[in-house]
Amino acid sequence: MAEVAPGQASAAVVERRRSRVRRVWIGVVLVALVALLFLPGGAKETFEVSQEFTLHPIVKLPKVGPVDLSITKAVICLWITVGVLAVIALVVNRSLKAQPGRFQYAIEFLYELARDGIAGSVMKSGRDTWFPYIGSVFFFVLTANLIGLIPLPFGEHGQLAFYAATGNLNVTVVLALFTFLFTQYAGVRNKGPVAYVHSWMPKGAPPVLREFIFVIHIVSEVFRVVSLSVRLFANMVAGHAILAVFFAMALIFQNYAIAVVLQGGSVIIFLFEIFVAVIQAFIFAILSAVYIGGALEQEH
Amino acid sequence: MDASAAKLLGAGLSMGLGALGPGIGLGFLIGKALEAIARQPEVSGDVRTNMFIGIGVTEAIGLYAFVIALILIFVAK
Repeated sequence: MAEVAPGQASAAVVERRRSRVRRVWIGVVLVALVALLFLPGGAKETFEVSQEFTLHPIVKLPKVGPVDLSITKAVICLWITVGVLAVIALVVNRSLKAQPGRFQYAIEFLYELARDGIAGSVMKSGRDTWFPYIGSVFFFVLTANLIGLIPLPFGEHGQLAFYAATGNLNVTVVLALFTFLFTQYAGVRNKGPVAYVHSWMPKGAPPVLREFIFVIHIVSEVFRVVSLSVRLFANMVAGHAILAVFFAMALIFQNYAIAVVLQGGSVIIFLFEIFVAVIQAFIFAILSAVYIGGALEQEH
Repeated sequence: MDASAAKLLGAGLSMGLGALGPGIGLGFLIGKALEAIARQPEVSGDVRTNMFIGIGVTEAIGLYAFVIALILIFVAK
Protein backbone atom coordinates (compact mmCIF):
# COMPACT_ATOMS: atom_id res chain seq x y z
CA MET A 1 0.00 0.00 0.00
CA ALA A 2 1.22 3.53 -0.73
CA GLU A 3 2.17 5.88 2.05
CA VAL A 4 -0.97 7.78 3.12
CA ALA A 5 -1.51 10.28 5.93
CA PRO A 6 -2.79 8.74 9.19
CA GLY A 7 -6.20 10.53 8.91
CA GLN A 8 -6.91 9.08 5.48
CA ALA A 9 -5.89 5.55 6.48
CA SER A 10 -8.27 5.43 9.43
CA ALA A 11 -11.04 6.90 7.22
CA ALA A 12 -10.62 3.98 4.84
CA VAL A 13 -10.64 1.51 7.74
CA VAL A 14 -13.80 3.10 9.19
CA GLU A 15 -15.45 2.94 5.76
CA ARG A 16 -14.66 -0.75 5.38
CA ARG A 17 -15.93 -1.52 8.88
CA ARG A 18 -19.11 0.43 8.23
CA SER A 19 -19.82 -1.42 5.00
CA ARG A 20 -19.14 -4.74 6.74
CA VAL A 21 -21.65 -3.89 9.48
CA ARG A 22 -24.13 -2.92 6.78
CA ARG A 23 -23.66 -6.24 5.01
CA VAL A 24 -24.14 -8.14 8.26
CA TRP A 25 -27.39 -6.28 8.88
CA ILE A 26 -28.67 -7.01 5.37
CA GLY A 27 -27.81 -10.66 5.89
CA VAL A 28 -29.68 -10.76 9.21
CA VAL A 29 -32.78 -9.16 7.67
CA LEU A 30 -32.77 -11.57 4.73
CA VAL A 31 -32.43 -14.60 7.01
CA ALA A 32 -35.27 -13.26 9.18
CA LEU A 33 -37.52 -12.80 6.15
CA VAL A 34 -36.82 -16.32 4.92
CA ALA A 35 -37.45 -17.72 8.40
CA LEU A 36 -40.72 -15.78 8.65
CA LEU A 37 -41.75 -17.28 5.33
CA PHE A 38 -41.67 -20.73 6.90
CA LEU A 39 -43.04 -19.97 10.35
CA PRO A 40 -46.57 -21.28 10.82
CA GLY A 41 -49.24 -18.59 10.60
CA GLY A 42 -51.10 -17.04 13.50
CA ALA A 43 -54.62 -17.63 14.72
CA LYS A 44 -56.68 -19.46 12.15
CA GLU A 45 -59.50 -16.98 11.80
CA THR A 46 -61.27 -16.30 8.59
CA PHE A 47 -61.53 -12.73 7.46
CA GLU A 48 -64.72 -11.41 5.96
CA VAL A 49 -64.41 -8.00 4.38
CA SER A 50 -68.17 -7.53 4.47
CA GLN A 51 -68.09 -7.64 8.26
CA GLU A 52 -66.57 -4.18 8.21
CA PHE A 53 -69.68 -2.76 6.59
CA THR A 54 -72.57 -4.50 8.31
CA LEU A 55 -74.25 -2.33 10.90
CA HIS A 56 -75.03 -3.87 14.27
CA PRO A 57 -77.23 -1.84 16.61
CA ILE A 58 -75.31 -0.59 19.59
CA VAL A 59 -78.29 0.89 21.43
CA LYS A 60 -81.43 -0.85 20.34
CA LEU A 61 -84.33 1.55 19.78
CA PRO A 62 -87.77 0.70 18.40
CA LYS A 63 -88.77 0.92 14.78
CA VAL A 64 -91.03 3.76 13.70
CA GLY A 65 -92.77 2.42 10.61
CA PRO A 66 -90.10 1.23 8.21
CA VAL A 67 -87.37 3.29 9.89
CA ASP A 68 -85.22 1.54 12.45
CA LEU A 69 -84.10 4.10 15.01
CA SER A 70 -81.38 1.98 16.65
CA ILE A 71 -78.07 3.66 17.21
CA THR A 72 -75.43 2.01 15.03
CA LYS A 73 -71.86 2.94 14.31
CA ALA A 74 -73.02 4.99 11.33
CA VAL A 75 -75.20 7.13 13.60
CA ILE A 76 -72.35 7.61 16.04
CA CYS A 77 -70.02 8.60 13.20
CA LEU A 78 -72.51 11.22 12.05
CA TRP A 79 -72.80 12.62 15.56
CA ILE A 80 -69.02 12.76 15.90
CA THR A 81 -68.80 14.60 12.57
CA VAL A 82 -71.35 17.20 13.63
CA GLY A 83 -69.70 17.55 17.03
CA VAL A 84 -66.24 18.06 15.53
CA LEU A 85 -67.51 20.67 13.09
CA ALA A 86 -69.39 22.56 15.81
CA VAL A 87 -66.39 22.52 18.14
CA ILE A 88 -64.03 23.72 15.39
CA ALA A 89 -66.38 26.52 14.41
CA LEU A 90 -66.84 27.68 18.01
CA VAL A 91 -63.14 27.50 18.81
CA VAL A 92 -62.15 29.48 15.73
CA ASN A 93 -64.88 32.03 16.28
CA ARG A 94 -63.93 32.70 19.91
CA SER A 95 -60.38 33.71 19.17
CA LEU A 96 -60.30 35.40 15.78
CA LYS A 97 -57.10 37.39 15.43
CA ALA A 98 -55.93 39.76 12.75
CA GLN A 99 -52.67 37.78 12.61
CA PRO A 100 -54.00 34.23 12.37
CA GLY A 101 -52.33 31.41 14.22
CA ARG A 102 -51.86 28.06 12.53
CA PHE A 103 -55.29 26.65 13.31
CA GLN A 104 -57.16 29.76 12.21
CA TYR A 105 -54.99 29.91 9.10
CA ALA A 106 -55.91 26.34 8.19
CA ILE A 107 -59.61 26.96 8.66
CA GLU A 108 -59.38 30.21 6.68
CA PHE A 109 -57.63 28.34 3.90
CA LEU A 110 -60.46 25.81 3.71
CA TYR A 111 -63.03 28.60 3.85
CA GLU A 112 -61.41 30.48 0.99
CA LEU A 113 -61.06 27.27 -0.98
CA ALA A 114 -64.79 26.66 -0.58
CA ARG A 115 -65.78 30.24 -1.34
CA ASP A 116 -63.44 31.16 -4.18
CA GLY A 117 -62.16 27.87 -5.49
CA ILE A 118 -65.45 25.99 -5.46
CA ALA A 119 -68.41 28.35 -5.39
CA GLY A 120 -66.69 31.36 -6.94
CA SER A 121 -65.02 29.60 -9.83
CA VAL A 122 -68.23 27.96 -11.03
CA MET A 123 -71.19 30.14 -10.05
CA LYS A 124 -70.80 33.70 -11.19
CA SER A 125 -73.97 35.36 -10.00
CA GLY A 126 -75.22 33.14 -7.20
CA ARG A 127 -71.99 32.78 -5.29
CA ASP A 128 -72.93 34.71 -2.18
CA THR A 129 -76.43 33.29 -2.05
CA TRP A 130 -75.38 29.70 -2.37
CA PHE A 131 -72.02 29.67 -0.64
CA PRO A 132 -73.56 28.70 2.74
CA TYR A 133 -74.87 25.47 1.24
CA ILE A 134 -71.78 24.68 -0.84
CA GLY A 135 -69.47 25.47 2.06
CA SER A 136 -71.53 23.37 4.45
CA VAL A 137 -71.54 20.40 2.11
CA PHE A 138 -67.81 20.72 1.55
CA PHE A 139 -66.95 20.88 5.24
CA PHE A 140 -69.39 18.13 6.19
CA VAL A 141 -68.22 15.65 3.56
CA LEU A 142 -64.56 16.49 4.27
CA THR A 143 -64.93 15.94 8.02
CA ALA A 144 -67.02 12.79 7.62
CA ASN A 145 -64.51 11.28 5.17
CA LEU A 146 -61.54 12.12 7.37
CA ILE A 147 -63.18 10.79 10.53
CA GLY A 148 -63.69 7.54 8.64
CA LEU A 149 -59.91 7.18 8.61
CA ILE A 150 -59.54 7.36 12.40
CA PRO A 151 -59.83 3.95 14.09
CA LEU A 152 -62.62 4.03 16.64
CA PRO A 153 -63.87 1.23 18.89
CA PHE A 154 -66.66 -0.10 16.70
CA GLY A 155 -65.74 -3.77 16.67
CA GLU A 156 -67.83 -6.47 18.27
CA HIS A 157 -65.66 -6.72 21.38
CA GLY A 158 -64.61 -3.09 21.44
CA GLN A 159 -61.93 -3.53 18.82
CA LEU A 160 -60.80 -0.59 16.75
CA ALA A 161 -62.33 -0.32 13.31
CA PHE A 162 -62.59 2.19 10.49
CA TYR A 163 -66.03 3.37 9.50
CA ALA A 164 -66.92 6.44 7.45
CA ALA A 165 -70.31 8.06 7.81
CA THR A 166 -70.30 8.69 4.08
CA GLY A 167 -69.63 5.00 3.44
CA ASN A 168 -73.33 4.50 3.85
CA LEU A 169 -75.59 4.92 0.85
CA ASN A 170 -78.36 6.46 2.97
CA VAL A 171 -76.17 9.40 4.02
CA THR A 172 -74.89 10.15 0.55
CA VAL A 173 -78.34 9.88 -1.01
CA VAL A 174 -79.62 12.47 1.45
CA LEU A 175 -76.77 14.83 0.57
CA ALA A 176 -77.37 14.34 -3.15
CA LEU A 177 -81.11 14.91 -2.65
CA PHE A 178 -80.33 18.20 -0.93
CA THR A 179 -78.32 19.26 -3.98
CA PHE A 180 -81.15 18.18 -6.29
CA LEU A 181 -83.78 20.05 -4.26
CA PHE A 182 -81.66 23.17 -4.09
CA THR A 183 -81.04 23.00 -7.85
CA GLN A 184 -84.77 22.96 -8.59
CA TYR A 185 -85.40 25.64 -5.95
CA ALA A 186 -82.72 27.89 -7.42
CA GLY A 187 -84.11 27.53 -10.91
CA VAL A 188 -87.69 28.11 -9.85
CA ARG A 189 -86.83 31.09 -7.69
CA ASN A 190 -84.74 32.63 -10.44
CA LYS A 191 -87.09 32.27 -13.35
CA GLY A 192 -90.49 31.21 -12.06
CA PRO A 193 -91.66 27.61 -12.36
CA VAL A 194 -93.05 27.68 -15.89
CA ALA A 195 -90.07 29.48 -17.40
CA TYR A 196 -87.68 27.16 -15.57
CA VAL A 197 -89.28 24.00 -16.93
CA HIS A 198 -89.49 25.70 -20.31
CA SER A 199 -85.76 26.36 -20.22
CA TRP A 200 -85.11 22.65 -20.36
CA MET A 201 -86.11 22.71 -23.99
CA PRO A 202 -83.58 24.25 -26.35
CA LYS A 203 -84.74 27.21 -28.36
CA GLY A 204 -83.72 26.74 -31.94
CA ALA A 205 -84.63 23.14 -32.69
CA PRO A 206 -87.47 21.30 -34.44
CA PRO A 207 -90.40 20.40 -32.10
CA VAL A 208 -89.87 16.64 -31.94
CA LEU A 209 -86.22 17.12 -31.09
CA ARG A 210 -87.14 19.63 -28.39
CA GLU A 211 -89.38 17.15 -26.63
CA PHE A 212 -86.77 14.45 -26.95
CA ILE A 213 -84.13 16.69 -25.37
CA PHE A 214 -86.66 17.61 -22.67
CA VAL A 215 -87.10 13.95 -21.72
CA ILE A 216 -83.37 13.38 -21.76
CA HIS A 217 -82.87 16.41 -19.54
CA ILE A 218 -85.36 15.10 -16.99
CA VAL A 219 -83.61 11.74 -16.95
CA SER A 220 -80.23 13.40 -16.54
CA GLU A 221 -81.50 15.52 -13.65
CA VAL A 222 -82.67 12.41 -11.82
CA PHE A 223 -79.49 10.58 -12.68
CA ARG A 224 -77.44 13.38 -11.12
CA VAL A 225 -78.77 12.34 -7.71
CA VAL A 226 -77.71 8.75 -8.37
CA SER A 227 -74.28 9.69 -9.67
CA LEU A 228 -73.47 12.15 -6.87
CA SER A 229 -74.47 9.72 -4.16
CA VAL A 230 -72.94 6.59 -5.70
CA ARG A 231 -69.66 8.36 -6.49
CA LEU A 232 -69.10 9.35 -2.87
CA PHE A 233 -70.44 6.08 -1.45
CA ALA A 234 -68.45 3.77 -3.71
CA ASN A 235 -65.22 5.75 -3.27
CA MET A 236 -65.47 5.46 0.50
CA VAL A 237 -66.54 1.79 0.49
CA ALA A 238 -63.87 0.74 -1.98
CA GLY A 239 -61.21 2.60 -0.03
CA HIS A 240 -62.21 1.04 3.26
CA ALA A 241 -62.44 -2.44 1.75
CA ILE A 242 -58.90 -2.10 0.37
CA LEU A 243 -57.71 -0.80 3.74
CA ALA A 244 -59.34 -3.74 5.52
CA VAL A 245 -57.70 -6.25 3.17
CA PHE A 246 -54.27 -4.66 3.46
CA PHE A 247 -54.38 -4.38 7.21
CA ALA A 248 -55.50 -8.01 7.55
CA MET A 249 -52.88 -9.49 5.24
CA ALA A 250 -51.51 -11.74 7.96
CA LEU A 251 -54.93 -13.34 8.48
CA ILE A 252 -55.62 -13.78 4.81
CA PHE A 253 -52.31 -15.32 3.87
CA GLN A 254 -51.57 -17.03 7.19
CA ASN A 255 -47.95 -16.01 6.72
CA TYR A 256 -45.88 -13.48 8.62
CA ALA A 257 -43.43 -12.66 5.82
CA ILE A 258 -46.14 -11.44 3.46
CA ALA A 259 -47.69 -9.38 6.26
CA VAL A 260 -44.35 -7.75 7.03
CA VAL A 261 -43.70 -6.91 3.41
CA LEU A 262 -47.20 -5.55 2.85
CA GLN A 263 -47.31 -3.27 5.87
CA GLY A 264 -45.49 -0.72 3.73
CA GLY A 265 -48.31 -1.10 1.24
CA SER A 266 -50.79 -0.46 4.04
CA VAL A 267 -49.16 2.86 4.83
CA ILE A 268 -49.16 3.90 1.18
CA ILE A 269 -52.80 2.92 0.75
CA PHE A 270 -53.71 4.86 3.89
CA LEU A 271 -52.05 8.01 2.53
CA PHE A 272 -53.89 7.53 -0.75
CA GLU A 273 -57.14 7.20 1.17
CA ILE A 274 -56.54 10.56 2.82
CA PHE A 275 -56.06 12.06 -0.64
CA VAL A 276 -59.24 10.39 -1.91
CA ALA A 277 -61.20 11.67 1.09
CA VAL A 278 -60.22 15.28 0.40
CA ILE A 279 -60.72 14.99 -3.34
CA GLN A 280 -64.18 13.43 -3.00
CA ALA A 281 -65.30 16.24 -0.72
CA PHE A 282 -64.01 18.77 -3.25
CA ILE A 283 -65.70 16.99 -6.15
CA PHE A 284 -69.04 16.68 -4.37
CA ALA A 285 -69.03 20.37 -3.50
CA ILE A 286 -67.93 21.56 -6.91
CA LEU A 287 -70.42 19.38 -8.76
CA SER A 288 -73.19 20.69 -6.51
CA ALA A 289 -72.04 24.20 -7.38
CA VAL A 290 -72.03 23.34 -11.10
CA TYR A 291 -75.59 21.96 -10.94
CA ILE A 292 -76.95 24.88 -8.95
CA GLY A 293 -75.10 27.36 -11.15
CA GLY A 294 -76.49 25.61 -14.20
CA ALA A 295 -80.03 26.01 -12.91
CA LEU A 296 -79.47 29.69 -12.24
CA GLU A 297 -78.47 30.61 -15.74
CA GLN A 298 -79.78 27.99 -18.09
CA GLU A 299 -79.64 29.43 -21.57
CA HIS A 300 -80.08 26.42 -23.77
CA MET B 1 -72.74 -23.62 -13.41
CA ASP B 2 -74.74 -22.98 -10.27
CA ALA B 3 -76.06 -19.61 -9.22
CA SER B 4 -73.39 -18.62 -6.72
CA ALA B 5 -70.57 -19.36 -9.13
CA ALA B 6 -72.35 -17.38 -11.83
CA LYS B 7 -72.80 -14.47 -9.44
CA LEU B 8 -69.11 -14.34 -8.56
CA LEU B 9 -68.12 -14.66 -12.17
CA GLY B 10 -70.47 -11.87 -13.11
CA ALA B 11 -69.07 -9.67 -10.37
CA GLY B 12 -65.53 -10.26 -11.54
CA LEU B 13 -66.39 -9.57 -15.17
CA SER B 14 -68.35 -6.46 -14.24
CA MET B 15 -65.52 -4.88 -12.33
CA GLY B 16 -62.84 -5.97 -14.78
CA LEU B 17 -64.53 -4.81 -17.95
CA GLY B 18 -65.92 -1.76 -16.22
CA ALA B 19 -62.45 -0.54 -15.35
CA LEU B 20 -61.33 -0.40 -19.00
CA GLY B 21 -63.32 2.64 -20.05
CA PRO B 22 -62.52 4.91 -17.10
CA GLY B 23 -58.89 3.88 -17.26
CA ILE B 24 -58.55 5.00 -20.87
CA GLY B 25 -60.66 8.09 -20.22
CA LEU B 26 -58.62 9.16 -17.22
CA GLY B 27 -55.42 8.66 -19.16
CA PHE B 28 -56.67 10.96 -21.92
CA LEU B 29 -57.96 13.54 -19.49
CA ILE B 30 -54.87 13.81 -17.35
CA GLY B 31 -52.62 13.74 -20.40
CA LYS B 32 -54.47 16.64 -21.97
CA ALA B 33 -54.35 18.54 -18.70
CA LEU B 34 -50.59 17.99 -18.50
CA GLU B 35 -50.18 19.23 -22.06
CA ALA B 36 -52.20 22.33 -21.26
CA ILE B 37 -50.12 23.05 -18.17
CA ALA B 38 -46.92 22.55 -20.11
CA ARG B 39 -48.06 24.90 -22.84
CA GLN B 40 -49.23 27.68 -20.57
CA PRO B 41 -48.00 27.39 -16.99
CA GLU B 42 -49.88 30.47 -15.80
CA VAL B 43 -53.28 28.75 -16.12
CA SER B 44 -52.17 25.67 -14.21
CA GLY B 45 -54.47 26.49 -11.27
CA ASP B 46 -57.61 26.62 -13.41
CA VAL B 47 -56.56 23.61 -15.43
CA ARG B 48 -55.89 21.62 -12.29
CA THR B 49 -59.28 22.50 -10.79
CA ASN B 50 -61.15 21.45 -13.91
CA MET B 51 -59.02 18.34 -14.21
CA PHE B 52 -60.13 17.24 -10.77
CA ILE B 53 -63.76 17.77 -11.72
CA GLY B 54 -63.21 15.65 -14.81
CA ILE B 55 -61.44 12.96 -12.79
CA GLY B 56 -64.36 12.82 -10.36
CA VAL B 57 -66.93 12.38 -13.09
CA THR B 58 -64.92 9.80 -15.03
CA GLU B 59 -63.96 7.79 -11.97
CA ALA B 60 -67.63 7.53 -11.05
CA ILE B 61 -68.30 5.42 -14.15
CA GLY B 62 -65.84 2.82 -12.91
CA LEU B 63 -67.46 2.98 -9.51
CA TYR B 64 -70.86 2.15 -10.99
CA ALA B 65 -69.32 -1.13 -12.15
CA PHE B 66 -67.95 -1.65 -8.65
CA VAL B 67 -71.39 -1.14 -7.14
CA ILE B 68 -72.90 -3.67 -9.56
CA ALA B 69 -70.22 -6.13 -8.51
CA LEU B 70 -71.04 -5.53 -4.85
CA ILE B 71 -74.75 -6.03 -5.53
CA LEU B 72 -74.02 -9.28 -7.33
CA ILE B 73 -71.88 -10.65 -4.54
CA PHE B 74 -73.83 -9.57 -1.49
CA VAL B 75 -77.42 -8.81 -2.41
CA ALA B 76 -78.47 -10.92 -5.37
CA LYS B 77 -79.99 -14.32 -4.65
